[in-house]
Amino acid sequence: MKLTGLQKQVLGLYRGFLRAARTKGSEERKKIESIVSSEFRRHAKSIERKNFIYIEYLLRRGTKQLEQLKNPDTLSLSTVPVRHHPS
Amino acid sequence: MALRAAILGHIRVPVQTLTQNGRILQPWNLLNSNRSMSSHGDDHLDKEEVIERVLSVVKSFPKVDPSKVTPDVHFQNDLGLDSLDTVEIVMALEEEFKLEIPDKEADKINSCKLAVEYIANHPMAG
Repeated sequence: MKLTGLQKQVLGLYRGFLRAARTKGSEERKKIESIVSSEFRRHAKSIERKNFIYIEYLLRRGTKQLEQLKNPDTLSLSTVPVRHHPS
Repeated sequence: MALRAAILGHIRVPVQTLTQNGRILQPWNLLNSNRSMSSHGDDHLDKEEVIERVLSVVKSFPKVDPSKVTPDVHFQNDLGLDSLDTVEIVMALEEEFKLEIPDKEADKINSCKLAVEYIANHPMAG
């Protein structure tokens, strides 16, 4: 399967998060990996493949979050549960 | 301190060590003195060993059925993994062989065969 440019960017971002997780303590690393993995998979399922504008928005948002995670002062990630309204 | 860091951030010093007879020693030989060196100067890992270690990493991946893993197995077509799983496997291989695979190369590795090829040809794989 040939990857599109956008898919490559998403996979590159995913890789970036996993690399950043390696620099944290082992417990935090596991936690970060589990959050990142479930977030990417959740979006991969819920977002329409052709919704480029939203995917690009998420890429930009993820890139900023990754920059924060790379900061050595950042020890962990946390998520805030959002109530999803049925559409 | 900030200035120092800013300057150091832009300096690249090639890591090379000369022996007495002027031959360049590769840095990893200095670090791993127990590494075997064959007579023809080929420091690459033995291919059979690479295959074995790649297969064991892939087999230990939680979503993989170990009985399906062969040296020719394709991660997505044969093991039912998705592209995110593939990223995770390639990252696990990086850790196993103490490598960092650039995105451009990592995106191409979609089977055990390609992983073995890449790692066996990588001079820094340990």
